[in-house]
Amino acid sequence: MIERLKSCFLKEMPFFLAAPAVLWAIILFLFPLLCLIFTSFIDQDTGLFSWYNYHHIANITIAIIIIRSLFYALLTTFFTLIIGYPIAYYVAFYARAKEYMLFFLTLPFWTNLIVLVYAWFFLLEREGLINFLLTKLGLITEPLQLAYTTGSVILVMTYCYIPFMIMPLYSVLNKFNMRLLEASCDLGATYFQTLRHVIIPVSLPGIRTGIILVFVPSFGEFIVPALMGGAKQLTVGSLISYYFVVSKNYAIGSAFTILSGLILLLTAILIYFLITLIKK
Amino acid sequence: MKSIRIENAAKSYAGEAIIHNLNLTVPVGSFFALLGPSGSGKTTLLRLIAGFEQLDQGAIFLGDDEITTVPAHKRKINTVFQQYALFPHMNVFDNVAYGLRIKGISENILEEKVNYILSVVHLEKYRYKSIAQLSGGQQQRIALARAIVNEPEVLLLDEPLAALDLKLRERMLLELIELQDTLKMTFIYVTHDQLEALTVADYMAIMDHDGTIQQVGIPKLIYENPKNSFIASFVGTTNLFHGNLLSNKSGHFEFFIPQLGMFELASTGEYPWVRDGATAVMSLRPEKIEISKTPLFNFSNMVEGFVKSIVYHGRSTQYNVQLINELVVSVFEQNEDHFPQEVIDYDDHVYLYWQKENVVILES
Repeated sequence: MIERLKSCFLKEMPFFLAAPAVLWAIILFLFPLLCLIFTSFIDQDTGLFSWYNYHHIANITIAIIIIRSLFYALLTTFFTLIIGYPIAYYVAFYARAKEYMLFFLTLPFWTNLIVLVYAWFFLLEREGLINFLLTKLGLITEPLQLAYTTGSVILVMTYCYIPFMIMPLYSVLNKFNMRLLEASCDLGATYFQTLRHVIIPVSLPGIRTGIILVFVPSFGEFIVPALMGGAKQLTVGSLISYYFVVSKNYAIGSAFTILSGLILLLTAILIYFLITLIKK
Repeated sequence: MKSIRIENAAKSYAGEAIIHNLNLTVPVGSFFALLGPSGSGKTTLLRLIAGFEQLDQGAIFLGDDEITTVPAHKRKINTVFQQYALFPHMNVFDNVAYGLRIKGISENILEEKVNYILSVVHLEKYRYKSIAQLSGGQQQRIALARAIVNEPEVLLLDEPLAALDLKLRERMLLELIELQDTLKMTFIYVTHDQLEALTVADYMAIMDHDGTIQQVGIPKLIYENPKNSFIASFVGTTNLFHGNLLSNKSGHFEFFIPQLGMFELASTGEYPWVRDGATAVMSLRPEKIEISKTPLFNFSNMVEGFVKSIVYHGRSTQYNVQLINELVVSVFEQNEDHFPQEVIDYDDHVYLYWQKENVVILES
């Protein structure tokens, strides 16, 4: 009997090992998601099934908020990629003390977000360090409006999310077979041809992971736009928190969350396949 | 098809000289093997020819054109890399087409060329397979196809068969010889395996640990007439005896080995160091020795000993025989008969015979 139990246990080992994680995902992810979908179809006043919540949010103001979040997320992704790629490339191919460099590059990731944002305020404010220095140097007479702009939101978001881009890029480039560079060169390719036809395509899995890792959370980001963009810069994240925390309108909040989640999912899938096109 | 000429080449890494004052000519259209032990700088030499490394001193010529400072991507030389270095994100066809696409060859001409080369390496069926789906031998052929499709003046092969098993290696060696014959390209083949070099090469150069080229010539000449004891023991196996040259009554040299006696020599060659009493080394190949438990006649030289160990190789057997002066001599004997008339066993007393023409006298 014990023998049979033992052999059964050994045979089903993968199941037992995966079970806690699956349970975790069901309780903390799938179940809440189903609750959310359910709530989004319930009229909060009557308690009956209804499309009301979705009708309610189908307006231009909501559309603008979603587009703004998409815009922030896309720009953040774009800048983290074009800044992160050369950094990851340098660390993987040339840097000596790779571990230390990576530690310093991922430092923002270790620091509390609020602290980070306030650190940027210190630099970007009207009385901040940059304006102070520029005035002292006589380059400007009036302080520049640096904080509370779209630019400052993108800047700080890029800064916060860049570790998520560098890490997957680094892990792919670090495993890159240097002989491929020589092979490409041997076959007559210049450095830029090699970059275009070999290095970037081979690091594509890293690029894709990095883009998804940055794009998805930056779409829902609300702390940075809320603090850096001033009160008028409503985003998907801040609107969701408004519905659930301030107005306690769970039904409409759920509908909005589901809608923006679907848009995020579709955009992410679209980007994922667009990247595959650069393969050859 | 062009020749390669290297003049007074020197290259060092971090202050350590890898090669210095190296001169080498690779004849046009030859299958040239560059043989040397690990760390002899043969791969460095290949990388210098390919253009991945730059010479500190000296010059490299492709035919009559100096290419010393020409960047790798502009040299009409292609390389088959040791670990193949195939592009993992491309299929077989795209890998082979890479060089042609870079050159901007139109797709229909390119397709024709790639298909032709794939048929030459017997992989036309695998055209659209991904690299990961291929075996080591097939990847090897793709690496070869990717290089030769560009019709280089010189093809460099950096230990191309090192990762393959013995059977496949033997087959690929024959295919390489055939390929070189069909394509009429100059092949430079780097290897540490003397058997591979002897098999494929029209000419071979042997490098020693210091990155110096010790001997250049056709394989048979190098095997039968090694220039020094390094070559004699590196190319093939040999028994080296240290002793002295002594002039006999008729003016011929004989070889004296302490505690073993005098041995007849056919010739010693005309070298300045060849004189009466000079110390020298006698190289005697194991396959040129006859082993017997009973005395034989018609041999010019003979020693006696006891069998210390026997290594059975299948087609031949290696006997390690300890002589009276404690020296151990290897003997190869062909296993010609299914039931040999004479069975030699451990500790048997044996006679070793060789003809005086079959030894080479080397400077010690």
